Amino acid sequence: MELTVNGKTLEVTDGITITAVLEELKINPLRVAVQLNQEIVKRERYEETSLKAGDRIEIITFMAGGSA
Amino acid sequence: MTDATMREDKAMEQSDTLTFAGREFRSRLIIGTGKYPDHRSMQRAHEASGAEIVTVAVRRVNLDRTQESLLDYIDTKKYTLLPNTAGCYTAEEAIKTAFLAREVGLSDMVKLEVIGDQRTLFPDNEELLKATQVLVKEGFVVLPYTNDDPVMARKLEDAGAAAVMPLGAPIGSGLGIRNPYNIKIILEAARVPVIVDAGVGTASDATIAMELGCDGVLMNTAIACAKDPVAMAEAMRHAIRAGRLAHLAGRIPRKLYATASSPLEGMIEL
Repeated sequence: MELTVNGKTLEVTDGITITAVLEELKINPLRVAVQLNQEIVKRERYEETSLKAGDRIEIITFMAGGSA
Repeated sequence: MTDATMREDKAMEQSDTLTFAGREFRSRLIIGTGKYPDHRSMQRAHEASGAEIVTVAVRRVNLDRTQESLLDYIDTKKYTLLPNTAGCYTAEEAIKTAFLAREVGLSDMVKLEVIGDQRTLFPDNEELLKATQVLVKEGFVVLPYTNDDPVMARKLEDAGAAAVMPLGAPIGSGLGIRNPYNIKIILEAARVPVIVDAGVGTASDATIAMELGCDGVLMNTAIACAKDPVAMAEAMRHAIRAGRLAHLAGRIPRKLYATASSPLEGMIEL
């Protein structure tokens, strides 16, 4: 099935969890926040949250920046 | 420096702290992480600056993994992270960004920016105030970036901002403290720390802000885009300290005419 992750299409196995998506993308879960279809998902729920085709995921972190 | 003055220097650095929301910081300099030539020079500039708070932007993870993670270059045990809402043009965007930033789990502080104009990057104060009210209620430590308007500063403080952060000049402009009198008026009324955010171009600008009585200065471009960011970071560290000491020491009044420093009595007959 297909997900949209940070604006890009990602082909994944059906029913994949957020934890597994992060693993696949080699992203440290302790350094990100995840939003699923506009709603924040708490870190403790990544493991139990299975995704559906067409879900839109935002994975955000801290980047270099000062102001604006 | 003699041992004695070094001791005094240390003692002052320890007792004269920047305090907001029940947190104490020995350094009154807050610096950014943007625009450095590379992460390594940023890391060295952070060390040289003595800053304990560093600002970061909240953005999508880069999925192609070609870029190194910023967080590999910031010791989060040593530095307090201050996520910003840079790039947000409405209260709603800024609030959502703040929530995501908190969810990362490394900070509950937010440098709240709601920009109102692309060319000047001046804040949209109406949206800023709305976002401040919401985020304070949600338990955030809110540090709003505002213009040098004493009325706005008061409204932000009344809304529960942990500090107010008036600009000295437009972000990245390096024009210095353009309206010291407004900053002075903000300082007179403020019951929360006043931190000048934006506009500093060089060390003397930071000193002026501190001499006015500001509690701190936040800067990014002045250090990151200097020819030698590490040397400029060190200069800023001293500039902040010098300005703070001068403020505490109490400057002499300005006078139009000269006042001799040597005794007028005992002049030699020549």
